[in-house]
Amino acid sequence: MIGILKRDISLLISSKQMIIFMLFYIPLLLFVSESFVPEILYFMILVFYTYMMSTTSFTYDLTGKSKYVINSLPINRNELVIYKYLSIFIYFSITVVYAGVYLWIINILKLADVDYFNLRGIMNAIPTIMIYVSIVFPTFIRFEPRVAQIINIILFMTFFIISSNISYTGDKGALKYLGVLKWEYIMAIALVMYILSLLLSIHLYKNRDI
Amino acid sequence: MDYILEVKNLRKEFKNFTLDNISFNLEPGYIMGFIGPNGAGKSTTIKLIMNLLKKDGGEIRIFGKDHEKYEKEVKNRIGFVYDENYYYEDLTINTMKSVVASFYSNWDDSKFNEYMREFDLNPKAKIKTLSKGMKMKFSLAVALSHNADLIIMDEPTSGLDPVFRREILDILYSVIQDEKKSIFFSTHITTDLEKIADYITFINRGKIVFSKPKDDVLQNYGIVKGGLDILDENARKEFIGIRETKVGFEALTDNMDKTRRMFGNRVLIERATLEDIMVYSVRR
Repeated sequence: MIGILKRDISLLISSKQMIIFMLFYIPLLLFVSESFVPEILYFMILVFYTYMMSTTSFTYDLTGKSKYVINSLPINRNELVIYKYLSIFIYFSITVVYAGVYLWIINILKLADVDYFNLRGIMNAIPTIMIYVSIVFPTFIRFEPRVAQIINIILFMTFFIISSNISYTGDKGALKYLGVLKWEYIMAIALVMYILSLLLSIHLYKNRDI
Repeated sequence: MDYILEVKNLRKEFKNFTLDNISFNLEPGYIMGFIGPNGAGKSTTIKLIMNLLKKDGGEIRIFGKDHEKYEKEVKNRIGFVYDENYYYEDLTINTMKSVVASFYSNWDDSKFNEYMREFDLNPKAKIKTLSKGMKMKFSLAVALSHNADLIIMDEPTSGLDPVFRREILDILYSVIQDEKKSIFFSTHITTDLEKIADYITFINRGKIVFSKPKDDVLQNYGIVKGGLDILDENARKEFIGIRETKVGFEALTDNMDKTRRMFGNRVLIERATLEDIMVYSVRR
């Protein structure tokens, strides 16, 4: 598993698109979301960065010819899928540190007033990411890359619109109503979805032609 | 007999192609050439052996073990080289090496560095900057640096110039000096196999035509040349494939002695090359 993580991080670092995304996504979000609640903005950054890193590395082994390499190495298919699901927490940790430092610098330079560490934001981001990947990962395994990408984009846009609306309307809008849902319940739902999705992905990947 | 690779009644169905119950065995210490025209099923067979495709029937045993059940253990002892570069183009040779090395329990860094020097490869170079030949050499270096007992190669010499091809064949020949190691080598450049293979397995339209020692194949198969006057119904049945012209015919036989007895001096018989065997069998 260390090998795949090393591969994924090496590829993320060497990808120009990912570097551009890592560097410019936060300023872009700050620019378009001046009226956002800082906590929601922080939450959106955590979710987006983790999600982008997780899905990018997930697709390395499903699309393109490089998939033959990893699947020819001494690793069995179950391990590969389990790694993919566990790696979201590694990417999440990387994101918390990276976004924390980035936003802290923005704060220090007084470019904007943003949260650079917010426990509630972190706690809300974890189940959101788990639910997100629970839907997206099996679709990448089950469907052709093009179909999976369409589902991925629809989900991504839906999340973005919902988050933006919640954030924009602030306490007057949907955020207030979402507040009635206890974090424990959301986390429990996320955990169940995550485990079911993992089992489904293991089954699908085990019987899939590479 | 302990085989290093056993393929038994292997079956895989696609919409437009079926790999139809193919069987063959490879013993330790030998090179098996896997020949066939494009689309015959060579790459499909290799992908099934590597468990990249899921079989619909049959059995694959590598080092005496089921290739799915013991996938990790088995793959730890396999070196693979595919027909083109499947490594990540944006990574350097060194980074790619360190990624791959972490998967193998017997990775030998000094051996890899030796190959890097021998192949004149710069470890800091990005894979995308390498020529096709260099990429193939890198793949070969990776395949040979973890003490693999079985090297599986899918058309490794296709698209390479004769100098590169000869270099690769020389390396394979030196690998096989260790009697425990075997090489399974698919190609449609049959002259490469005439130089190094011990066994030839010929596949056509998803079926195995033969799987025999190379010397038996080259001893028994022959090209028969003669006039059209002897090419009657009975004669035709004796041949695997026939090419007719206005002045005569050329045909492939898999039993030169029988053909000699049947036609005597009326025909000229020459030894067939692997290419002849492939071309005439496909034309059948």
